[in-house]
Amino acid sequence: MKPDAPSAAPLVQMDNIEKHFGGVRAVNGVSLDLYPGEVVGVLGHNGAGKSCLMRILSGAMLPSQGTIKVNGEIAEIQTPHDARDLGIETIYQTLALADHLNAPANLFLGRELKTRFGNLDDTKMMSEAVRVLKRLNPNFKNLNDPVSSLSGGQRQVIAIARAIYFNVKILIMDEPTAALGPSETAMVSALIRQLRDEGIGILLVSHDMHDVFELCDRVVVMNKGRKVGSHPIEDVTKDDVLSLIIKGELPHNWVPRSRETIQ
Amino acid sequence: MADLDRGAAPAFWTFKLSPGSYHKLSALLTLALLIFAFSFGNAAFFSVNNGLTVLLQTSVIGLLGIGMTLVIITGGIDLSVGSVLALSGTITGLSVKAGIPVAPAMAIGVMAGAACGFVNGFVITKMKITPFVATLGMMLIARGLALQLTGAAPISRLGESFGLLGNGSLFRIVEKTGGIFPKVVFPGIPYPVILLAVVAVAAAYLLRRRQTGRHIYATGSNEEAARLSGVLVDRTKIFAYALSGALAGLAGNVLMSRLVTVQPNEGVMYELDAIAAAVIGGASLMGGIGNISGTMIGAAIIGVLRNGLNMAGVSAFIQQIVIGVIVILAVYIDQIRNRR
Repeated sequence: MKPDAPSAAPLVQMDNIEKHFGGVRAVNGVSLDLYPGEVVGVLGHNGAGKSCLMRILSGAMLPSQGTIKVNGEIAEIQTPHDARDLGIETIYQTLALADHLNAPANLFLGRELKTRFGNLDDTKMMSEAVRVLKRLNPNFKNLNDPVSSLSGGQRQVIAIARAIYFNVKILIMDEPTAALGPSETAMVSALIRQLRDEGIGILLVSHDMHDVFELCDRVVVMNKGRKVGSHPIEDVTKDDVLSLIIKGELPHNWVPRSRETIQ
Repeated sequence: MADLDRGAAPAFWTFKLSPGSYHKLSALLTLALLIFAFSFGNAAFFSVNNGLTVLLQTSVIGLLGIGMTLVIITGGIDLSVGSVLALSGTITGLSVKAGIPVAPAMAIGVMAGAACGFVNGFVITKMKITPFVATLGMMLIARGLALQLTGAAPISRLGESFGLLGNGSLFRIVEKTGGIFPKVVFPGIPYPVILLAVVAVAAAYLLRRRQTGRHIYATGSNEEAARLSGVLVDRTKIFAYALSGALAGLAGNVLMSRLVTVQPNEGVMYELDAIAAAVIGGASLMGGIGNISGTMIGAAIIGVLRNGLNMAGVSAFIQQIVIGVIVILAVYIDQIRNRR
């Protein structure tokens, strides 16, 4: 998969995005593309601005400056609702679940299914929830319990299910495997590959180098609010990426690794 | 029989209840225990007439409690309901005095209550002032308005029709005896009780079956999550406060109608009864938990307590102490339940 293949139009173009908090520039003139069927790792220290950038794309935060284009058209993303209407779904690190509600209520929160009379269609929501949750985790039980009583893995599954149930085109995953055990991590990895093959663009925020190199087609590294690098994964090594994350620049003698091996 | 009627009404609500029914069961048990104990205190406590009196008293606390429950589920609190009740009644009274027929005048009063609630919601969501402070301010504003509008004097001579809502009843059976006082076979179900039942069913339906209700729970459970999920959190909160204000207005009209006089200093500290009813009924002040049936049981407990203590000859001061202790106990039980 060649992510920068000129044939495909980018799903998302974030152009010169800035976010200021008082005098602090949390995001400083960052541009980012995402193509269909591409997994882009977004890396950086805590406070490098990657979460800010993701929150801007998901409508949870308004940029101070800059434009976002989705499918080539300028998109005004004012609220999470707007983002979802554009097919942008987000799995937050905090999972963003309402603890007192059960799994189906969380799955459909903000987009509840209704009967003809406008009542909540709990039966339908439950059966749909069973279907989609069983697909992700066959052992999923107690869907009627408030999600506060579920395990970390089950809660994560609900958050993931909520993002992929609706017609997702652009998926933002913020540390999706941080709370998971090995088997569940493998499930998430498989899911990411499957979604990629369906042509969905994925932005993967992660600290786990192993995951990044296994799953991503390209990495974007941020440092102190700036984008310091965007490279196809085969052009960089883990050490290169670490250097970008920590120092904000590539090692002195760096040449794209894929070219290096050819030469 | 009165006891059965009273016990059966809340029990009807518990049927569809799954989680939290433990708490509700214990509240129901407390209610039954209270009724049992008080019927020893005074023989007249355990009668049809007194049962209806309790229900009548409960209806005002119940209406306030329903609105309070919605607000508490969103994670807020509404301290202004007692004052809004007085202001709404005052505005209804002034409207009647201005020549407006009773029914539209009452509608104006209820709308005034809703407007107060809307302002509460606006101040809380848009000016980002905590619910405690915002509604405390409204408590003073509404009370001050009611006193200013009336010059702190009660408005009386509002006509017989003004008293109908508070004093009328359905299925009243009266036997003509030929004497001056006709014999009352069955005093009838008071209109306020019917009103409360209708409002309670409507509010339970809203919370359980409508999207708005689901969003009220989600907002109180995890506001940020609700916002990120596309729930219009501000609108949901404003709605809850406006409804609380409207129900306070309705309660005000019921209360003033019962007295057939508008008292601008009526309803002081009623907000505490309403909060107590909601909390005893299992609503959590942390938000996300609560339901109408529980609040109805809570309101009945407060109503029975007040009435029973009165009939047992306990002074009003001691009553305050008792209810204060019970509120603390209810919150304590809520915390233990959350820790589990």
